[in-house]
Amino acid sequence: MAVQPEVEKKSILRAVTDAADDVFTRITAGIPAAEVRRMLRGEAPGRPNPRLKPHSEAFLLHIKPTYYHESVTKFTHTFRLGLISTYLFFLETITGLILMIWYAPTPERAYTDMIRLLSNVPFGQLMRDLHRLGAELMVVAVTLHMVRTYLTGSYKAPRQFTWFTGVILLVLTLFLSFSGYLLPWDQLAYWAVTIGTSMAEAVPPKVVGETINLLARGAPDIGANGLMRFYLLHVLFLPLVLFLFFFVHYYKVVHFGISLPSDEEEVGQDTANKVPADRRVYFLPDVFIDESALLIFITALIVAATALFFTAPLESIANPQSTPLHTVAPWYFYWLQGLLKIADKSIAGVYIPGILLVLLMGIPYLDRNPSRRGRDRRVAIISGVVAGIVIIILSWMGTPYYAVQGAPAVEIVQELMPEEGMGPVREMGYAHLPIGVYDTRTNLESGDAEFDEVLHEFSVAIEEFGKTDKSFNEPYGIVTVSQEQPQLKRITWDIFWLSPDGKEETYKRIFFVHENALYWEQYGLKDFSYVRPPQPAEGK
Amino acid sequence: MKRPWYRFLYVRSPLAKIGLAMLALLGSIALLLVMGILETPRMEAQTLNFEGRSIQNGAAAFANNCASCHGVDGKGLTGVAPALHSKYFFTQRLKDLEYTGSLHDYVKLTVAAGRPSMKKSQWAQMMPTWGQRYGGPFRDDQVEDVTQFVLNWEEDALVQTAETDPWQPFQNAPTVDIFAGGGAVEAAPTPVATGPRPPQELFVAMACVGCHNIDQPQTDSNKGPIGPNMANLYETAGTRVAGQDGKTYIHTSIINPTALVVAGYNPVMPADFATKMSEEEINSLVDWILDPNRQR
Repeated sequence: MAVQPEVEKKSILRAVTDAADDVFTRITAGIPAAEVRRMLRGEAPGRPNPRLKPHSEAFLLHIKPTYYHESVTKFTHTFRLGLISTYLFFLETITGLILMIWYAPTPERAYTDMIRLLSNVPFGQLMRDLHRLGAELMVVAVTLHMVRTYLTGSYKAPRQFTWFTGVILLVLTLFLSFSGYLLPWDQLAYWAVTIGTSMAEAVPPKVVGETINLLARGAPDIGANGLMRFYLLHVLFLPLVLFLFFFVHYYKVVHFGISLPSDEEEVGQDTANKVPADRRVYFLPDVFIDESALLIFITALIVAATALFFTAPLESIANPQSTPLHTVAPWYFYWLQGLLKIADKSIAGVYIPGILLVLLMGIPYLDRNPSRRGRDRRVAIISGVVAGIVIIILSWMGTPYYAVQGAPAVEIVQELMPEEGMGPVREMGYAHLPIGVYDTRTNLESGDAEFDEVLHEFSVAIEEFGKTDKSFNEPYGIVTVSQEQPQLKRITWDIFWLSPDGKEETYKRIFFVHENALYWEQYGLKDFSYVRPPQPAEGK
Repeated sequence: MKRPWYRFLYVRSPLAKIGLAMLALLGSIALLLVMGILETPRMEAQTLNFEGRSIQNGAAAFANNCASCHGVDGKGLTGVAPALHSKYFFTQRLKDLEYTGSLHDYVKLTVAAGRPSMKKSQWAQMMPTWGQRYGGPFRDDQVEDVTQFVLNWEEDALVQTAETDPWQPFQNAPTVDIFAGGGAVEAAPTPVATGPRPPQELFVAMACVGCHNIDQPQTDSNKGPIGPNMANLYETAGTRVAGQDGKTYIHTSIINPTALVVAGYNPVMPADFATKMSEEEINSLVDWILDPNRQR
C-alpha cells in the first residue's frame, strides 16, 4: 500500500490508527478493535454478524461451532468436562515435554534423573508434580465425562459413534497414565507395572498371553527393554493415537451438536442442530470468554494444589529382587486388583475387563429405549449406579486393607516403619530417636514425648495381636536405637513370641535413619522445615 | 424457570469473568514467584536428603554384605579384612599406595571391582567383586551408596588416637605410623588377653565369623564358600576322623588347622590361634561351637 496517497487522503493520525486497526484485525483473525470493544461491553452483534469471521479465517477456530444452543452452554449441563479433559491432555503434553529434557529411559539413569530433577532443577519438582496431578485429574475428568454422558443419555442416536470413540479415548487415557507410571523407575512404578503386565500374560491360549507379555516387557521381566517400550508408548505412540481419536470424537461432537437437555425436545427427536435465532449463544465472545476463564481458573487451582498439597510419589530405586509389602496398582486399577483377589487371573484379568469394554462400547446399541429422559430410563440409570457402586466396592477390595494381612510381627513393624514411604517413625525423624534399648515389657520411657508415643503404639499393637492371633502368644518387642555413624542412627525392631506349640519365634528388622533424609510425603512446600537454618547435629 | 440455589455463582458480565480470570492468573504468578524464592533452599534440602538416603541405603548394604569381614562397626577383623573406620585409612592409606585419585574413587573402585589376588597377604580372603559391571551383585547406585556410607566414618575416624585406631598394617605394603611422626611400624599387633573371654566374643574377635557361618548347616548343597558352615557341626564333628570324638576334632582343628582340612577347602585358616587364646578359652570355644542350643 502506498503510504503517501493514504496520508494525503486522510489526516496522518487517521492513517496511523487505520494501520494499527488493520494489524489488530489480522491478529484477531477478522475482528476490528471497535467490535472487540462492543463485545466486552456485552452489546449484541450487528447484522451480518461480524464476529463469525475468525471461524473461517483462523485454523484453531474453524473446528469450533460458531454458536451453541443457549441450554447447552449452562455449566451444569455438561460441566465442560470434555473441554477440561482436552485441556489436561495439552497440560500433560507441555509438562511432559519439559520433563523429557532431563530424562533418559534407561535403568541406569531413569531414577538418578528423577533425583537430579528434584534436587538440581529449579521448578523441576513442580513440573513433575503438575504432570502427575494432571494425569490423575485427566483420568478423573474423562471418567466423569463418560458418567455425565451416560446419565443424560447423550450416547443415543445419532451419537452412538461419538460414544464409541469416547470409550476408546477413555481406554487410551488409562493406558497413557499407566505407561507413564513405570518411567520414574522406583519400586512403586516397577511393581505396579509388573502386576499390570502380568495380567496380559493370562490371555488364553498360553502362547498368545506369553507373547503379549514378552512384547510389552521386552524380556521375561521388566528391564531396560521394557522401560524403553513403555517410554515410547507413553511419549509417542499413545499420544498420537489419542490425538487422532480426539479429533474424530470432537468432529462428531460438532457435527451432531451437543445434545439438549432431554426435557427441551420430544422423545426420539434430535434438534441440537436446529437452534432458533433467539436462543443462539455465539462462540465469540460469550463461550470463548467462559471457556478461557474456566481454563485459567483451573490452571490456577492445579498450580496451587500442586504447590501446596500434592506431591508425586517417589519410592526407592526399582529392585527386581525385592517385592515391597502391599504392592498396589495405580488407584484407577484398584477395581481390577480387587477382582484379581477374588477370581482366577484369566477370568478377572482378561475376560471380565474384556467383556466390560465390549459392553461399554455397545451400550448405545444395546439400549433401544429412544427416550433420554431420566424417568423413562430407570433401568439404565439404576444399572449404571449399581455398576458404579460395584466398581467402588471392588476398588476398596483392591487396597491392602482387604484380605492381605502378613504375619502379625511384619504388620506391626510395617505400620510404624514401612519399607517404602514415611510412616510415623520417619516422620518424627532423626532428632526424635533417643539412643537406648526399649522393651515393651518394662521400659517405655525414652524421655522424648514423640518417640514415647511410637513406643506406646508399638506395645499396644503387640498386645492387640497377642490377644487376637492364636499363633502369636506372649509377645513382646524390643526397640534398639544406636548411633551407627555421624548423622546416622540404626533402629532395630525385635519382636519375640511363642508359636502355638511353644517354640520361641523372632522377627527382626533393621532400618537406618539419616539426619537429612526426607520421604516423598515431605517434599516441597508441604513441609516448610527446610526453610529454617540448619540446626547443629547432635551426638558428634 | 426455577432458579437454583447456587445462582450466586453465576457471573454474567464478560468483563467480570475476564477480571476474575486475570485475578486467578495473577494469584498463580504470585505463588510461582514465592516458590521461586524458596526453590534454592528446597533444592539444597533435597540434595542433602538424597545424600542422606544414599548413606542409609549404603548402611543396609554394608550390614548385609560387608560387616562379616570388615566388622559391624567397620573396624576390621584381625586376619580377615582391614579396618575402614580408621584414621590411618582416611589420612595415610592413599599416600602409602601412591594413589593419586580421591578416596571416594579408591573406595568405589575397590567395592566395584574387588581386590583380586594379593600375593603374600595376611588376609584370609581377597576382597570380592561387588559391582555388576565386574560380575558382582551390586548395581552402580548400590556401589555408590556403600562408598558414601564408608566415607561417612571420616568424622569419627579423624579423632582416633594410636590406641583406638583399629588399622592393621598390610604385611606386604610399606606403611607410615601416622601417630608417631612417620616411623615404620610392625605389622599386626597381637591383642593382649585379660582373663578368659566368652566364646561368643572369641568367635568374632578371632575372626572365625569371617569364614565360618554358624547359622547355616554344612550339607552337600549348602557349603560354606571359604570355610565349612557350622550349624550342624555338633552332629558331624564326631564322625570326621575315626576314633576321634567331636571335642578333640574341633580342638585339633583350632590349634593346628592344616592337620585336618575338610576335602574341597584350601588350608587358609590361620595357624596362630594357640598363641592368641588361652587353653581355657579354646576349650570354652570348642564347647560353645558343639552346643546345639548355643546362645549368640
